[in-house]
Amino acid sequence: MSFVQRRRFLWILFLAGLALLAVVANATTLSRLRFEELVNQATAVARLRCIGVESRWQEGEIWTETRFETVEVNKGLLPGVVKVRMLGGIVGHLHSRVEGVPAFRPGEEAYVFLWQRDGEPIRVLGWSQGTFRISRDPKTGVERVTQDSAAAPIFDPQTRQFRHGGIRNLPVAIFQLKLRKALDDKSTLSNQD
Amino acid sequence: MKLWLKRICSTSLAIFYALWFVPLAQAYSFDMIVPDVRQPASISGGSACPVRAHQLTAAGSIAVQWSTALNTNPVTILTQNQTASGRLTEVEQAIAQSMAVWSGVSGTTLLPATFTPLARTSTQAACGPDGINSICFDQADMAFTPGVLAFTRVITTDRLGVQVGSSAVSTQLGQILDADIYFNPSDSNTAYATPQALAANPKAYDLESLLTHELGHFLGFSHSAVWSAIMFPFAPAPGTFSGLRPTTQQADAPLGDDDRTGLRVLYPDPSDVVHQGVISGHVFPANPLALPASPPGVTGVFGAQVVAVDSATGAVAGASFGGWSCASPGPAQFDGGYEIDALAVGHSYTVYVEALNGVVDPSQISNAIDSLCRNVMTDPGWPPLQGCVVPAADISFTARTRPGP
Repeated sequence: MSFVQRRRFLWILFLAGLALLAVVANATTLSRLRFEELVNQATAVARLRCIGVESRWQEGEIWTETRFETVEVNKGLLPGVVKVRMLGGIVGHLHSRVEGVPAFRPGEEAYVFLWQRDGEPIRVLGWSQGTFRISRDPKTGVERVTQDSAAAPIFDPQTRQFRHGGIRNLPVAIFQLKLRKALDDKSTLSNQD
Repeated sequence: MKLWLKRICSTSLAIFYALWFVPLAQAYSFDMIVPDVRQPASISGGSACPVRAHQLTAAGSIAVQWSTALNTNPVTILTQNQTASGRLTEVEQAIAQSMAVWSGVSGTTLLPATFTPLARTSTQAACGPDGINSICFDQADMAFTPGVLAFTRVITTDRLGVQVGSSAVSTQLGQILDADIYFNPSDSNTAYATPQALAANPKAYDLESLLTHELGHFLGFSHSAVWSAIMFPFAPAPGTFSGLRPTTQQADAPLGDDDRTGLRVLYPDPSDVVHQGVISGHVFPANPLALPASPPGVTGVFGAQVVAVDSATGAVAGASFGGWSCASPGPAQFDGGYEIDALAVGHSYTVYVEALNGVVDPSQISNAIDSLCRNVMTDPGWPPLQGCVVPAADISFTARTRPGP
Protein backbone atom coordinates (compact mmCIF):
# COMPACT_ATOMS: atom_id res chain seq x y z
CA MET A 1 0.00 0.00 0.00
CA SER A 2 1.48 3.34 -1.05
CA PHE A 3 1.68 6.35 1.23
CA VAL A 4 -1.22 8.01 -0.61
CA GLN A 5 -3.35 4.90 -0.33
CA ARG A 6 -2.53 4.60 3.36
CA ARG A 7 -3.43 8.22 3.93
CA ARG A 8 -6.70 7.80 2.05
CA PHE A 9 -7.45 4.69 4.08
CA LEU A 10 -6.81 6.54 7.34
CA TRP A 11 -9.04 9.39 6.19
CA ILE A 12 -11.82 6.91 5.40
CA LEU A 13 -11.38 5.35 8.83
CA PHE A 14 -11.50 8.78 10.44
CA LEU A 15 -14.65 9.80 8.55
CA ALA A 16 -16.29 6.46 9.29
CA GLY A 17 -15.54 7.06 12.97
CA LEU A 18 -17.12 10.51 12.78
CA ALA A 19 -20.20 9.04 11.09
CA LEU A 20 -20.41 6.43 13.80
CA LEU A 21 -20.28 9.12 16.48
CA ALA A 22 -23.07 10.99 14.73
CA VAL A 23 -25.21 7.88 14.76
CA VAL A 24 -25.00 7.53 18.53
CA ALA A 25 -25.58 11.16 19.20
CA ASN A 26 -28.92 10.58 20.83
CA ALA A 27 -30.88 7.97 22.68
CA THR A 28 -34.39 6.70 22.26
CA THR A 29 -35.30 7.14 25.85
CA LEU A 30 -32.45 9.50 26.48
CA SER A 31 -30.78 12.13 24.40
CA ARG A 32 -27.04 12.00 24.83
CA LEU A 33 -25.77 14.53 27.33
CA ARG A 34 -22.07 15.33 27.21
CA PHE A 35 -20.28 15.46 30.54
CA GLU A 36 -20.14 19.25 30.36
CA GLU A 37 -23.88 19.39 29.65
CA LEU A 38 -24.55 17.16 32.64
CA VAL A 39 -22.48 19.50 34.80
CA ASN A 40 -24.27 22.56 33.40
CA GLN A 41 -27.79 21.21 33.69
CA ALA A 42 -27.49 19.54 37.08
CA THR A 43 -28.90 21.53 39.96
CA ALA A 44 -26.51 19.62 42.23
CA VAL A 45 -23.62 17.20 41.85
CA ALA A 46 -22.49 15.13 44.79
CA ARG A 47 -20.87 11.96 45.94
CA LEU A 48 -23.65 10.10 47.73
CA ARG A 49 -23.91 6.90 49.74
CA CYS A 50 -27.18 5.01 49.51
CA ILE A 51 -28.66 4.40 52.96
CA GLY A 52 -32.15 3.22 52.13
CA VAL A 53 -34.58 2.40 49.34
CA GLU A 54 -38.35 2.35 49.55
CA SER A 55 -41.00 1.91 46.87
CA ARG A 56 -44.58 3.07 47.29
CA TRP A 57 -47.68 4.25 45.46
CA GLN A 58 -47.73 7.99 45.11
CA GLU A 59 -49.75 10.18 42.77
CA GLY A 60 -51.10 7.14 40.97
CA GLU A 61 -47.75 5.49 40.18
CA ILE A 62 -45.18 3.30 41.89
CA TRP A 63 -42.17 5.44 42.77
CA THR A 64 -38.92 4.48 44.45
CA GLU A 65 -37.45 6.90 46.93
CA THR A 66 -33.75 6.41 47.58
CA ARG A 67 -32.21 8.05 50.63
CA PHE A 68 -28.58 9.05 50.33
CA GLU A 69 -26.06 10.28 52.82
CA THR A 70 -24.15 13.19 51.33
CA VAL A 71 -20.43 12.43 51.27
CA GLU A 72 -19.15 15.35 49.21
CA VAL A 73 -20.94 18.17 47.42
CA ASN A 74 -19.41 19.35 44.17
CA LYS A 75 -22.17 21.65 42.97
CA GLY A 76 -25.25 23.18 44.54
CA LEU A 77 -26.49 22.94 48.09
CA LEU A 78 -27.60 19.65 49.60
CA PRO A 79 -28.65 18.55 53.07
CA GLY A 80 -26.89 15.74 54.92
CA VAL A 81 -29.51 13.29 53.73
CA VAL A 82 -30.85 13.57 50.19
CA LYS A 83 -34.06 11.92 48.98
CA VAL A 84 -34.20 11.11 45.28
CA ARG A 85 -37.43 9.92 43.67
CA MET A 86 -37.45 7.83 40.51
CA LEU A 87 -40.28 6.11 38.64
CA GLY A 88 -40.77 2.35 39.10
CA GLY A 89 -40.34 -0.16 41.89
CA ILE A 90 -42.01 -3.13 43.52
CA VAL A 91 -45.05 -2.85 45.73
CA GLY A 92 -46.80 -6.04 46.75
CA HIS A 93 -47.04 -8.25 43.71
CA LEU A 94 -46.74 -5.44 41.19
CA HIS A 95 -43.41 -4.72 39.52
CA SER A 96 -43.22 -1.38 37.74
CA ARG A 97 -40.20 -1.07 35.45
CA VAL A 98 -38.73 1.69 33.36
CA GLU A 99 -35.60 0.81 31.44
CA GLY A 100 -32.76 3.24 32.08
CA VAL A 101 -33.88 4.40 35.51
CA PRO A 102 -30.98 3.88 37.93
CA ALA A 103 -31.53 1.66 40.96
CA PHE A 104 -29.33 1.81 44.04
CA ARG A 105 -28.60 -0.53 46.90
CA PRO A 106 -27.81 0.44 50.48
CA GLY A 107 -24.09 0.93 50.95
CA GLU A 108 -23.48 1.76 47.31
CA GLU A 109 -21.66 5.01 46.52
CA ALA A 110 -21.89 7.10 43.40
CA TYR A 111 -21.37 10.53 42.01
CA VAL A 112 -24.91 11.55 41.15
CA PHE A 113 -25.97 14.47 38.98
CA LEU A 114 -29.23 15.69 40.45
CA TRP A 115 -31.98 17.77 38.93
CA GLN A 116 -34.97 19.43 40.50
CA ARG A 117 -37.73 21.83 39.57
CA ASP A 118 -39.15 24.09 42.26
CA GLY A 119 -41.59 22.20 44.43
CA GLU A 120 -40.89 18.86 42.78
CA PRO A 121 -38.91 15.88 44.05
CA ILE A 122 -35.21 15.54 43.27
CA ARG A 123 -34.40 13.11 40.44
CA VAL A 124 -31.29 11.88 38.65
CA LEU A 125 -30.48 14.01 35.62
CA GLY A 126 -30.58 11.97 32.42
CA TRP A 127 -31.15 8.81 34.48
CA SER A 128 -28.35 6.34 33.67
CA GLN A 129 -26.26 9.14 32.20
CA GLY A 130 -26.21 11.11 35.43
CA THR A 131 -25.18 8.11 37.55
CA PHE A 132 -21.46 7.45 38.05
CA ARG A 133 -21.00 4.47 40.35
CA ILE A 134 -17.92 4.00 42.45
CA SER A 135 -16.26 0.61 42.81
CA ARG A 136 -13.29 -0.14 45.04
CA ASP A 137 -10.59 -2.62 44.06
CA PRO A 138 -10.36 -4.92 47.09
CA LYS A 139 -6.67 -5.56 46.46
CA THR A 140 -5.38 -2.05 45.85
CA GLY A 141 -8.15 -0.01 47.44
CA VAL A 142 -8.25 2.21 44.35
CA GLU A 143 -11.69 3.64 43.68
CA ARG A 144 -12.95 3.87 40.13
CA VAL A 145 -15.94 5.53 38.55
CA THR A 146 -18.16 4.12 35.79
CA GLN A 147 -21.14 5.87 34.24
CA ASP A 148 -24.22 3.63 34.15
CA SER A 149 -24.87 4.37 30.50
CA ALA A 150 -21.29 3.37 29.63
CA ALA A 151 -21.14 0.10 31.56
CA ALA A 152 -21.95 -2.32 28.76
CA PRO A 153 -19.92 -2.81 25.59
CA ILE A 154 -21.64 -2.13 22.29
CA PHE A 155 -21.35 -4.53 19.38
CA ASP A 156 -20.87 -2.95 15.97
CA PRO A 157 -22.02 -5.48 13.34
CA GLN A 158 -20.13 -3.71 10.55
CA THR A 159 -16.72 -3.94 12.11
CA ARG A 160 -17.69 -6.92 14.28
CA GLN A 161 -16.04 -5.25 17.20
CA PHE A 162 -17.15 -4.23 20.62
CA ARG A 163 -16.93 -0.54 21.41
CA HIS A 164 -16.99 1.42 24.60
CA GLY A 165 -18.08 4.97 25.30
CA GLY A 166 -18.66 7.36 28.16
CA ILE A 167 -16.80 7.29 31.44
CA ARG A 168 -15.61 3.84 32.44
CA ASN A 169 -13.21 2.72 35.13
CA LEU A 170 -11.85 6.19 35.70
CA PRO A 171 -9.91 6.57 38.96
CA VAL A 172 -11.87 8.77 41.34
CA ALA A 173 -9.04 11.29 41.53
CA ILE A 174 -9.11 11.78 37.76
CA PHE A 175 -12.89 11.93 37.72
CA GLN A 176 -12.76 14.67 40.35
CA LEU A 177 -10.28 16.62 38.25
CA LYS A 178 -12.54 16.29 35.23
CA LEU A 179 -15.54 17.38 37.27
CA ARG A 180 -13.68 20.33 38.75
CA LYS A 181 -12.52 21.45 35.32
CA ALA A 182 -16.06 21.27 33.93
CA LEU A 183 -17.35 23.23 36.91
CA ASP A 184 -14.60 25.85 36.50
CA ASP A 185 -15.33 26.15 32.79
CA LYS A 186 -18.98 26.60 33.60
CA SER A 187 -18.34 29.36 36.13
CA THR A 188 -16.00 31.11 33.68
CA LEU A 189 -18.74 31.01 31.06
CA SER A 190 -21.27 32.29 33.58
CA ASN A 191 -18.99 35.19 34.49
CA GLN A 192 -18.64 36.08 30.83
CA ASP A 193 -22.43 36.15 30.52
CA MET B 1 -7.54 -9.74 24.77
CA LYS B 2 -10.53 -8.89 22.63
CA LEU B 3 -9.11 -10.46 19.46
CA TRP B 4 -7.97 -13.45 21.40
CA LEU B 5 -11.39 -13.87 22.93
CA LYS B 6 -13.09 -13.57 19.57
CA ARG B 7 -10.81 -16.13 18.00
CA ILE B 8 -11.48 -18.56 20.76
CA CYS B 9 -15.14 -17.87 20.93
CA SER B 10 -15.60 -18.29 17.20
CA THR B 11 -14.96 -21.95 17.84
CA SER B 12 -17.71 -22.12 20.38
CA LEU B 13 -20.19 -23.16 17.71
CA ALA B 14 -18.96 -26.57 18.59
CA ILE B 15 -20.42 -26.13 22.04
CA PHE B 16 -23.94 -27.30 21.57
CA TYR B 17 -25.16 -28.27 24.94
CA ALA B 18 -28.53 -29.90 25.20
CA LEU B 19 -31.21 -27.89 26.91
CA TRP B 20 -30.78 -29.39 30.33
CA PHE B 21 -30.19 -25.92 31.70
CA VAL B 22 -33.56 -24.31 31.21
CA PRO B 23 -33.61 -21.40 30.94
CA LEU B 24 -30.07 -20.23 30.32
CA ALA B 25 -29.18 -16.59 30.07
CA GLN B 26 -31.40 -15.89 27.11
CA ALA B 27 -30.33 -13.97 24.11
CA TYR B 28 -31.42 -10.39 23.72
CA SER B 29 -32.45 -8.66 26.85
CA PHE B 30 -35.85 -9.14 28.29
CA ASP B 31 -37.57 -7.65 31.25
CA MET B 32 -37.35 -10.54 33.74
CA ILE B 33 -39.30 -11.24 36.88
CA VAL B 34 -38.84 -13.82 39.62
CA PRO B 35 -42.17 -15.35 40.69
CA ASP B 36 -43.08 -14.99 44.34
CA VAL B 37 -42.43 -18.51 45.60
CA ARG B 38 -43.68 -17.54 49.05
CA GLN B 39 -47.11 -17.94 47.49
CA PRO B 40 -48.68 -21.35 46.89
CA ALA B 41 -47.32 -23.09 43.82
CA SER B 42 -50.76 -22.90 42.22
CA ILE B 43 -50.35 -19.14 41.81
CA SER B 44 -46.55 -18.74 41.78
CA GLY B 45 -45.60 -21.75 39.70
CA GLY B 46 -43.35 -22.88 42.55
CA SER B 47 -40.13 -21.99 40.75
CA ALA B 48 -37.80 -19.07 41.50
CA CYS B 49 -36.41 -19.18 37.96
CA PRO B 50 -36.82 -15.78 36.29
CA VAL B 51 -39.60 -15.53 33.72
CA ARG B 52 -39.91 -13.03 30.92
CA ALA B 53 -42.37 -10.18 31.05
CA HIS B 54 -44.70 -10.51 28.09
CA GLN B 55 -48.05 -9.62 26.63
CA LEU B 56 -50.75 -12.14 25.83
CA THR B 57 -51.00 -12.80 22.11
CA ALA B 58 -54.45 -14.24 21.50
CA ALA B 59 -56.44 -12.35 18.89
CA GLY B 60 -57.52 -8.98 20.24
CA SER B 61 -55.65 -9.36 23.50
CA ILE B 62 -53.57 -6.18 23.26
CA ALA B 63 -55.53 -2.95 23.30
CA VAL B 64 -53.74 0.36 22.89
CA GLN B 65 -55.15 3.86 23.04
CA TRP B 66 -53.37 7.09 22.33
CA SER B 67 -54.06 10.49 23.69
CA THR B 68 -54.94 13.06 21.05
CA ALA B 69 -53.87 15.80 23.47
CA LEU B 70 -50.82 17.15 21.68
CA ASN B 71 -48.59 19.82 23.05
CA THR B 72 -49.19 23.26 21.56
CA ASN B 73 -46.68 25.38 23.45
CA PRO B 74 -44.17 24.36 22.34
CA VAL B 75 -45.38 22.13 19.52
CA THR B 76 -43.43 18.92 20.09
CA ILE B 77 -45.10 16.66 17.51
CA LEU B 78 -44.40 17.90 14.01
CA THR B 79 -46.53 16.75 11.10
CA GLN B 80 -46.62 17.52 7.42
CA ASN B 81 -50.36 18.06 7.44
CA GLN B 82 -51.10 21.07 9.60
CA THR B 83 -54.87 20.70 9.85
CA ALA B 84 -56.20 19.46 13.18
CA SER B 85 -57.58 16.22 11.78
CA GLY B 86 -54.64 15.79 9.42
CA ARG B 87 -52.20 16.00 12.34
CA LEU B 88 -54.05 13.33 14.24
CA THR B 89 -54.25 11.06 11.23
CA GLU B 90 -50.53 11.40 10.62
CA VAL B 91 -49.60 10.68 14.23
CA GLU B 92 -51.96 7.72 14.27
CA GLN B 93 -50.35 6.38 11.10
CA ALA B 94 -46.96 6.50 12.77
CA ILE B 95 -48.26 4.59 15.79
CA ALA B 96 -50.06 1.99 13.68
CA GLN B 97 -47.00 1.57 11.47
CA SER B 98 -44.77 1.03 14.52
CA MET B 99 -47.11 -1.63 15.85
CA ALA B 100 -47.19 -3.28 12.42
CA VAL B 101 -43.38 -3.42 12.46
CA TRP B 102 -43.46 -5.81 15.41
CA SER B 103 -46.48 -7.81 14.32
CA GLY B 104 -44.89 -8.18 10.88
CA VAL B 105 -42.12 -10.48 12.11
CA SER B 106 -42.53 -14.03 10.85
CA GLY B 107 -42.39 -17.02 13.17
CA THR B 108 -44.10 -15.45 16.17
CA THR B 109 -47.55 -15.53 17.69
CA LEU B 110 -47.65 -11.74 17.76
CA LEU B 111 -49.87 -11.10 14.77
CA PRO B 112 -51.65 -8.01 13.46
CA ALA B 113 -54.84 -9.54 14.88
CA THR B 114 -53.27 -9.61 18.34
CA PHE B 115 -53.85 -5.87 18.55
CA THR B 116 -57.32 -4.44 18.73
CA PRO B 117 -57.86 -1.43 16.48
CA LEU B 118 -55.94 1.57 17.78
CA ALA B 119 -58.22 3.76 19.86
CA ARG B 120 -58.11 7.49 20.50
CA THR B 121 -58.78 9.25 23.74
CA SER B 122 -59.05 12.95 24.39
CA THR B 123 -58.21 12.50 28.06
CA GLN B 124 -55.39 14.83 29.04
CA ALA B 125 -53.68 12.45 31.50
CA ALA B 126 -54.46 9.16 29.82
CA CYS B 127 -51.27 7.41 30.93
CA GLY B 128 -51.27 5.76 34.33
CA PRO B 129 -51.53 2.33 35.91
CA ASP B 130 -55.18 1.87 35.05
CA GLY B 131 -54.93 -1.36 33.11
CA ILE B 132 -55.27 0.47 29.80
CA ASN B 133 -52.20 0.63 27.57
CA SER B 134 -51.76 4.22 26.49
CA ILE B 135 -49.43 6.42 24.51
CA CYS B 136 -49.16 10.03 25.67
CA PHE B 137 -47.47 12.97 24.03
CA ASP B 138 -48.61 15.69 26.39
CA GLN B 139 -48.29 14.28 29.87
CA ALA B 140 -45.59 15.98 31.89
CA ASP B 141 -44.62 13.10 34.13
CA MET B 142 -42.40 13.97 37.06
CA ALA B 143 -39.91 11.29 35.99
CA PHE B 144 -38.70 13.42 33.08
CA THR B 145 -35.47 15.35 33.30
CA PRO B 146 -33.56 17.17 30.59
CA GLY B 147 -32.23 14.60 28.18
CA VAL B 148 -35.07 12.12 28.65
CA LEU B 149 -37.03 11.91 25.41
CA ALA B 150 -39.49 9.11 26.02
CA PHE B 151 -39.97 6.07 28.18
CA THR B 152 -42.22 3.08 28.64
CA ARG B 153 -43.45 2.14 32.09
CA VAL B 154 -44.37 -1.55 32.26
CA ILE B 155 -46.24 -3.17 35.13
CA THR B 156 -45.96 -6.92 35.57
CA THR B 157 -46.81 -9.27 38.38
CA ASP B 158 -45.02 -12.11 40.11
CA ARG B 159 -48.05 -14.32 40.70
CA LEU B 160 -51.30 -15.26 39.06
CA GLY B 161 -54.64 -13.67 39.81
CA VAL B 162 -53.49 -10.04 39.97
CA GLN B 163 -54.86 -7.10 38.06
CA VAL B 164 -54.18 -3.40 37.77
CA GLY B 165 -57.14 -1.09 37.34
CA SER B 166 -59.28 -2.55 34.61
CA SER B 167 -56.60 -4.88 33.27
CA ALA B 168 -57.24 -8.55 32.72
CA VAL B 169 -56.47 -10.72 35.73
CA SER B 170 -53.05 -12.31 35.25
CA THR B 171 -53.24 -15.87 34.01
CA GLN B 172 -49.53 -16.21 33.18
CA LEU B 173 -46.45 -15.42 35.24
CA GLY B 174 -44.72 -12.29 33.95
CA GLN B 175 -47.86 -11.14 32.16
CA ILE B 176 -47.79 -7.41 31.44
CA LEU B 177 -50.82 -5.79 33.03
CA ASP B 178 -50.28 -2.21 31.96
CA ALA B 179 -47.75 -0.52 29.70
CA ASP B 180 -47.73 3.18 28.94
CA ILE B 181 -45.48 5.14 26.63
CA TYR B 182 -44.66 8.71 27.58
CA PHE B 183 -43.06 11.31 25.33
CA ASN B 184 -41.44 14.31 26.99
CA PRO B 185 -43.66 17.32 26.29
CA SER B 186 -41.84 19.83 28.43
CA ASP B 187 -38.46 20.17 26.79
CA SER B 188 -38.64 23.16 24.48
CA ASN B 189 -35.50 21.99 22.66
CA THR B 190 -36.95 18.63 21.67
CA ALA B 191 -39.44 17.84 18.93
CA TYR B 192 -40.58 14.65 17.23
CA ALA B 193 -41.51 14.48 13.56
CA THR B 194 -43.66 11.98 11.71
CA PRO B 195 -41.95 10.26 8.76
CA GLN B 196 -43.70 12.67 6.40
CA ALA B 197 -42.39 15.68 8.29
CA LEU B 198 -38.90 14.52 9.16
CA ALA B 199 -37.10 15.77 6.06
CA ALA B 200 -38.43 19.28 6.61
CA ASN B 201 -37.50 19.17 10.30
CA PRO B 202 -33.95 17.85 10.49
CA LYS B 203 -33.59 18.83 14.13
CA ALA B 204 -36.53 16.68 15.19
CA TYR B 205 -36.39 13.07 16.30
CA ASP B 206 -38.08 10.49 14.12
CA LEU B 207 -41.33 9.72 15.90
CA GLU B 208 -41.70 6.33 14.25
CA SER B 209 -38.24 5.12 15.30
CA LEU B 210 -38.84 6.16 18.91
CA LEU B 211 -42.29 4.60 18.93
CA THR B 212 -40.98 1.33 17.51
CA HIS B 213 -38.28 1.21 20.18
CA GLU B 214 -40.72 2.02 22.98
CA LEU B 215 -43.16 -0.60 21.68
CA GLY B 216 -40.31 -3.08 22.06
CA HIS B 217 -40.30 -2.27 25.80
CA PHE B 218 -44.09 -2.49 25.72
CA LEU B 219 -43.73 -6.07 24.44
CA GLY B 220 -41.20 -7.08 27.10
CA PHE B 221 -37.83 -6.18 25.63
CA SER B 222 -35.05 -4.61 27.60
CA HIS B 223 -32.19 -2.83 25.78
CA SER B 224 -29.89 -4.56 23.30
CA ALA B 225 -26.17 -3.86 23.06
CA VAL B 226 -26.19 -4.42 19.32
CA TRP B 227 -25.69 -1.27 17.33
CA SER B 228 -28.11 -2.18 14.54
CA ALA B 229 -30.95 -3.33 16.78
CA ILE B 230 -34.01 -1.14 17.24
CA MET B 231 -33.70 -1.99 20.94
CA PHE B 232 -30.24 -0.45 21.08
CA PRO B 233 -30.71 2.32 23.63
CA PHE B 234 -29.35 5.03 21.39
CA ALA B 235 -31.62 6.18 18.61
CA PRO B 236 -30.60 7.77 15.37
CA ALA B 237 -29.58 11.39 15.46
CA PRO B 238 -32.26 14.01 14.80
CA GLY B 239 -33.39 14.07 11.19
CA THR B 240 -32.56 10.40 10.64
CA PHE B 241 -34.35 7.15 11.34
CA SER B 242 -33.52 3.61 12.41
CA GLY B 243 -32.87 0.98 9.77
CA LEU B 244 -35.19 1.10 6.80
CA ARG B 245 -38.74 2.38 6.58
CA PRO B 246 -41.36 -0.37 6.65
CA THR B 247 -42.88 -1.36 3.34
CA THR B 248 -45.83 -3.48 2.31
CA GLN B 249 -43.39 -6.22 1.34
CA GLN B 250 -41.40 -5.95 4.53
CA ALA B 251 -43.37 -4.54 7.41
CA ASP B 252 -40.58 -5.29 9.89
CA ALA B 253 -37.86 -3.52 7.89
CA PRO B 254 -36.76 -1.16 10.70
CA LEU B 255 -35.84 -4.10 12.94
CA GLY B 256 -32.50 -5.76 13.16
CA ASP B 257 -32.20 -9.53 13.06
CA ASP B 258 -31.43 -9.37 16.77
CA ASP B 259 -34.86 -7.80 17.38
CA ARG B 260 -36.61 -10.36 15.19
CA THR B 261 -34.91 -13.26 16.91
CA GLY B 262 -35.76 -11.76 20.29
CA LEU B 263 -39.41 -11.50 19.35
CA ARG B 264 -39.41 -15.14 18.22
CA VAL B 265 -38.00 -16.13 21.61
CA LEU B 266 -40.53 -14.00 23.44
CA TYR B 267 -43.55 -15.07 21.40
CA PRO B 268 -42.57 -18.38 19.76
CA ASP B 269 -44.77 -19.85 17.09
CA PRO B 270 -44.86 -23.62 17.62
CA SER B 271 -45.46 -24.15 13.92
CA ASP B 272 -42.30 -22.29 12.91
CA VAL B 273 -39.83 -24.90 11.71
CA VAL B 274 -37.24 -22.44 10.43
CA HIS B 275 -36.13 -20.73 13.63
CA GLN B 276 -35.39 -23.74 15.78
CA GLY B 277 -31.62 -23.33 16.08
CA VAL B 278 -29.96 -22.92 19.47
CA ILE B 279 -26.42 -21.92 20.37
CA SER B 280 -25.52 -22.33 23.99
CA GLY B 281 -22.40 -22.65 26.05
CA HIS B 282 -20.55 -21.31 29.03
CA VAL B 283 -17.93 -18.67 29.59
CA PHE B 284 -15.43 -19.77 32.22
CA PRO B 285 -12.36 -18.11 33.63
CA ALA B 286 -9.12 -19.95 32.90
CA ASN B 287 -8.29 -19.46 36.53
CA PRO B 288 -11.28 -20.32 38.72
CA LEU B 289 -9.72 -18.29 41.51
CA ALA B 290 -10.53 -15.23 39.44
CA LEU B 291 -14.20 -15.76 40.19
CA PRO B 292 -15.72 -13.61 42.90
CA ALA B 293 -15.84 -15.23 46.31
CA SER B 294 -19.01 -13.37 47.12
CA PRO B 295 -21.79 -14.21 46.61
CA PRO B 296 -20.92 -17.90 46.91
CA GLY B 297 -21.61 -20.37 44.13
CA VAL B 298 -20.43 -18.32 41.16
CA THR B 299 -18.76 -20.83 38.81
CA GLY B 300 -18.63 -18.94 35.53
CA VAL B 301 -18.19 -15.47 34.15
CA PHE B 302 -21.23 -13.30 34.65
CA GLY B 303 -22.04 -10.34 32.47
CA ALA B 304 -20.08 -11.15 29.33
CA GLN B 305 -21.70 -9.90 26.16
CA VAL B 306 -22.26 -12.82 23.75
CA VAL B 307 -23.14 -12.09 20.13
CA ALA B 308 -23.96 -14.59 17.35
CA VAL B 309 -23.29 -13.32 13.82
CA ASP B 310 -24.66 -15.07 10.75
CA SER B 311 -21.51 -16.01 8.87
CA ALA B 312 -23.13 -15.65 5.47
CA THR B 313 -24.97 -12.36 5.86
CA GLY B 314 -22.92 -10.72 8.59
CA ALA B 315 -26.12 -9.85 10.42
CA VAL B 316 -26.25 -10.13 14.17
CA ALA B 317 -28.63 -12.97 14.83
CA GLY B 318 -28.75 -12.55 18.58
CA ALA B 319 -26.94 -11.11 21.54
CA SER B 320 -27.03 -11.76 25.23
CA PHE B 321 -25.55 -10.87 28.57
CA GLY B 322 -24.39 -14.36 29.43
CA GLY B 323 -23.59 -15.84 32.76
CA TRP B 324 -26.51 -17.64 34.31
CA SER B 325 -28.86 -20.56 34.01
CA CYS B 326 -31.81 -21.80 35.97
CA ALA B 327 -33.48 -25.14 36.46
CA SER B 328 -36.73 -25.44 38.35
CA PRO B 329 -37.27 -24.86 41.26
CA GLY B 330 -34.50 -22.28 41.01
CA PRO B 331 -32.81 -20.08 41.95
CA ALA B 332 -30.64 -18.79 39.09
CA GLN B 333 -27.13 -20.25 39.02
CA PHE B 334 -24.26 -18.02 37.97
CA ASP B 335 -22.39 -20.63 35.97
CA GLY B 336 -21.36 -18.55 32.95
CA GLY B 337 -24.14 -20.03 30.82
CA TYR B 338 -25.52 -18.37 27.72
CA GLU B 339 -28.07 -19.40 25.15
CA ILE B 340 -29.15 -17.85 21.89
CA ASP B 341 -32.45 -19.33 20.69
CA ALA B 342 -34.74 -19.10 17.68
CA LEU B 343 -31.92 -19.03 15.14
CA ALA B 344 -32.55 -20.05 11.56
CA VAL B 345 -31.43 -23.63 11.07
CA GLY B 346 -28.96 -24.50 8.32
CA HIS B 347 -26.93 -21.33 8.85
CA SER B 348 -23.43 -21.00 10.19
CA TYR B 349 -22.78 -18.55 13.00
CA THR B 350 -19.75 -16.99 14.60
CA VAL B 351 -19.92 -16.16 18.28
CA TYR B 352 -18.20 -13.10 19.70
CA VAL B 353 -17.71 -12.53 23.40
CA GLU B 354 -16.73 -9.38 25.23
CA ALA B 355 -16.50 -9.06 28.95
CA LEU B 356 -17.51 -5.99 30.82
CA ASN B 357 -14.56 -3.80 31.60
CA GLY B 358 -14.10 -3.61 35.33
CA VAL B 359 -16.39 -4.31 38.20
CA VAL B 360 -19.92 -3.45 37.14
CA ASP B 361 -22.98 -3.59 39.31
CA PRO B 362 -25.81 -5.52 37.63
CA SER B 363 -28.12 -2.56 37.95
CA GLN B 364 -25.70 -0.58 35.81
CA ILE B 365 -26.30 -2.80 32.83
CA SER B 366 -29.95 -3.49 32.66
CA ASN B 367 -33.06 -4.20 34.64
CA ALA B 368 -32.99 -7.53 32.85
CA ILE B 369 -30.04 -8.90 34.77
CA ASP B 370 -30.55 -6.97 37.95
CA SER B 371 -33.83 -8.77 38.51
CA LEU B 372 -32.70 -12.39 38.27
CA CYS B 373 -32.71 -12.98 42.02
CA ARG B 374 -34.79 -12.46 45.10
CA ASN B 375 -33.73 -13.40 48.60
CA VAL B 376 -34.56 -13.01 52.25
CA MET B 377 -32.96 -9.57 52.32
CA THR B 378 -35.03 -8.20 49.45
CA ASP B 379 -38.18 -10.13 50.34
CA PRO B 380 -38.73 -11.07 53.98
CA GLY B 381 -39.76 -14.69 54.34
CA TRP B 382 -38.20 -15.76 51.03
CA PRO B 383 -37.22 -19.47 51.13
CA PRO B 384 -33.42 -19.49 51.55
CA LEU B 385 -32.96 -22.43 49.18
CA GLN B 386 -34.64 -20.46 46.39
CA GLY B 387 -32.84 -17.23 47.10
CA CYS B 388 -29.79 -15.84 45.33
CA VAL B 389 -27.79 -12.67 44.90
CA VAL B 390 -26.83 -11.33 41.49
CA PRO B 391 -23.02 -11.01 41.50
CA ALA B 392 -21.20 -7.97 40.30
CA ALA B 393 -19.91 -8.50 36.80
CA ASP B 394 -16.11 -8.49 36.81
CA ILE B 395 -13.78 -9.11 33.95
CA SER B 396 -10.58 -9.70 35.82
CA PHE B 397 -10.27 -13.06 34.13
CA THR B 398 -8.94 -14.91 31.13
CA ALA B 399 -11.57 -16.81 29.15
CA ARG B 400 -11.59 -19.89 26.94
CA THR B 401 -14.29 -22.08 25.48
CA ARG B 402 -14.33 -25.81 25.93
CA PRO B 403 -14.50 -28.07 22.89
CA GLY B 404 -17.93 -29.49 22.25
CA PRO B 405 -18.93 -33.03 23.06
